[in-house]
Amino acid sequence: MSAATATPQTARATTARSGPTFGRVVAAEWTKLVSLRSPWWTAAVTVAVAGVITYLSAQASSGDPGFQPVGSLSTGLALAQIGPLVLGVLVGAGEFRTGASRTTFTLVPRRWPVLVAQVLAMAAFALVTAVLATAASVLGILPAAASRGIAVDLTSGDTPGLVLGMVLFLVVLALLGLALGALLRRTVPALVTALLVVLILPIVLMTAGDPLVGGADPPSIGLPDADPATTVLGTLAVLSPGGAAQLMTTSASAGPMPGSPDLGPVGGGLVLAAWVLVVLVAAAVRLRARDVR
Amino acid sequence: MIEVEALTKRYGSTTAVDGLTFTARPGTVTGFLGPNGAGKSTTMRVVVGLERPTSGTARVAGRRYADLPAPLHAVGVMLDARSVHPGRTAYKHLLAMAQTHGIGRARVREVIAQTGLEPAAHRRAGAFSLGMGQRLGIAGALLGDPATLILDEPVNGLDPDGVLWVRRLVRDLAAEGRTVLLSSHLMHELALCADRVVIIGRGRLLADASVQEVVDRSERAGTVRVRTTDPEPLARELLAAGAQVTPQEGGTLHVRGVSVDEVGTAARRCGATVLELGTESGSLEEAYLQLTGDAVEYRTADAAGGAR
Repeated sequence: MSAATATPQTARATTARSGPTFGRVVAAEWTKLVSLRSPWWTAAVTVAVAGVITYLSAQASSGDPGFQPVGSLSTGLALAQIGPLVLGVLVGAGEFRTGASRTTFTLVPRRWPVLVAQVLAMAAFALVTAVLATAASVLGILPAAASRGIAVDLTSGDTPGLVLGMVLFLVVLALLGLALGALLRRTVPALVTALLVVLILPIVLMTAGDPLVGGADPPSIGLPDADPATTVLGTLAVLSPGGAAQLMTTSASAGPMPGSPDLGPVGGGLVLAAWVLVVLVAAAVRLRARDVR
Repeated sequence: MIEVEALTKRYGSTTAVDGLTFTARPGTVTGFLGPNGAGKSTTMRVVVGLERPTSGTARVAGRRYADLPAPLHAVGVMLDARSVHPGRTAYKHLLAMAQTHGIGRARVREVIAQTGLEPAAHRRAGAFSLGMGQRLGIAGALLGDPATLILDEPVNGLDPDGVLWVRRLVRDLAAEGRTVLLSSHLMHELALCADRVVIIGRGRLLADASVQEVVDRSERAGTVRVRTTDPEPLARELLAAGAQVTPQEGGTLHVRGVSVDEVGTAARRCGATVLELGTESGSLEEAYLQLTGDAVEYRTADAAGGAR
């Protein structure tokens, strides 16, 4: 009888006592992400802003003679992009800011699987948010299109690529925020850095690099149809995280921004992904090398 | 089993832990004592791999913490009641912890019940009182049914019921053959539930002994207390017998250097009427203050030496 009761206990002790596998860490990070309130409200705000701003922008341009509804599709993202960026920072830095990292890294002492799992959980959550925000943007252009009697076709020309670019744009920005939060470990510095490199830096570079402000040769100014010369600042602008991100929300046929090499949406996406990877590697190195307080 | 060997941790020019060596054994509650800033929390963070030692080693169950295949099953850790995201409920916090080791929801509910957290399980941890936060921390430490527990100030902020509960819990855990290391600044709490104490000051080991041994080291231990109607003749008699006598109020004398039998005999010799006679026992608190007091003096001497 005693042997019969002892056996299941021994069995339980040996089978149930395995450690943190990567799949388990991903499951835990998913639970951690969706059990917070901030992901839900940032997702709701992102979707709402994308829809509303796109609607307003499409309404405003619907009076233009050459109005193309699809041309207004990504206008809402200029503001809505802040949502995933902020969410990424809140989750990435929140871990350290709150001291939850002490619990997390005593459970997974190898540490880096946590970062990879956070990236996956965030990517999945941001993907759903991005699909909804893009759908809201499509809904946003419909009234303006209907008022001009233009049918909206998402399946022709550059449009499928544009829609895909918009979705990936939001996902990768969430990951950039997460990476910056994980690297800097404090919410405010990470948020300021994120807004600086995504929103402010490309505008500053683009403005300073504009041929009219003083970059390119004078003859090219009068000839807008000529192959625009690339400038150093214009090149830096599209290579900045924000500039590269913007390319993802433009049509492949839209051509380069003034003074910039023509990377196209795919090139922009690759540049942004490279930035995310660089920051993530820096965060992983810091995670490995430094103490967790 | 926790083995700390010649452990040193420096932050820049500050030495938080300085050549610390001690062992916490299975079946024993080891109390970890020291004034604020003595290096207790730093030592615990190094033991669980959150911080890297400058030199020396810390091992749990014979391995470096980072090399444990299933840390949650090997060591239950409660470092700080604020190791929880305030936006997450107690249940979700414990669930995420459990998921990293493939532990089921049933076990999560079990530790919630065991720590009396049921009413607060679905409230966000940010709204918890200090006592509730402690219970959540202890629940997390128990989750993996570990053989070793490391608890930083577990009774801090608990109500008397909770203090009693933690005391019984750590005794039970040790009785099951587990290693329990707990830090506290409440000396009488440790006296009631610890078998051994490790006392540190300024990152250095001051004492590593059983509670009784430490108590016996206190100055008051071994003092004979005698209350008499005639303190003066008795004091003369005792001084003649080679004792040290400290007169107290109300005809009481504190006598050191002679046994309680000798004091009784001396009283009969000089015809003093004894109203009360007994030995004083020291307290852990006293012994601790004497030990750490020395550490403070040492610091002063050290500073003077440095200024020379």
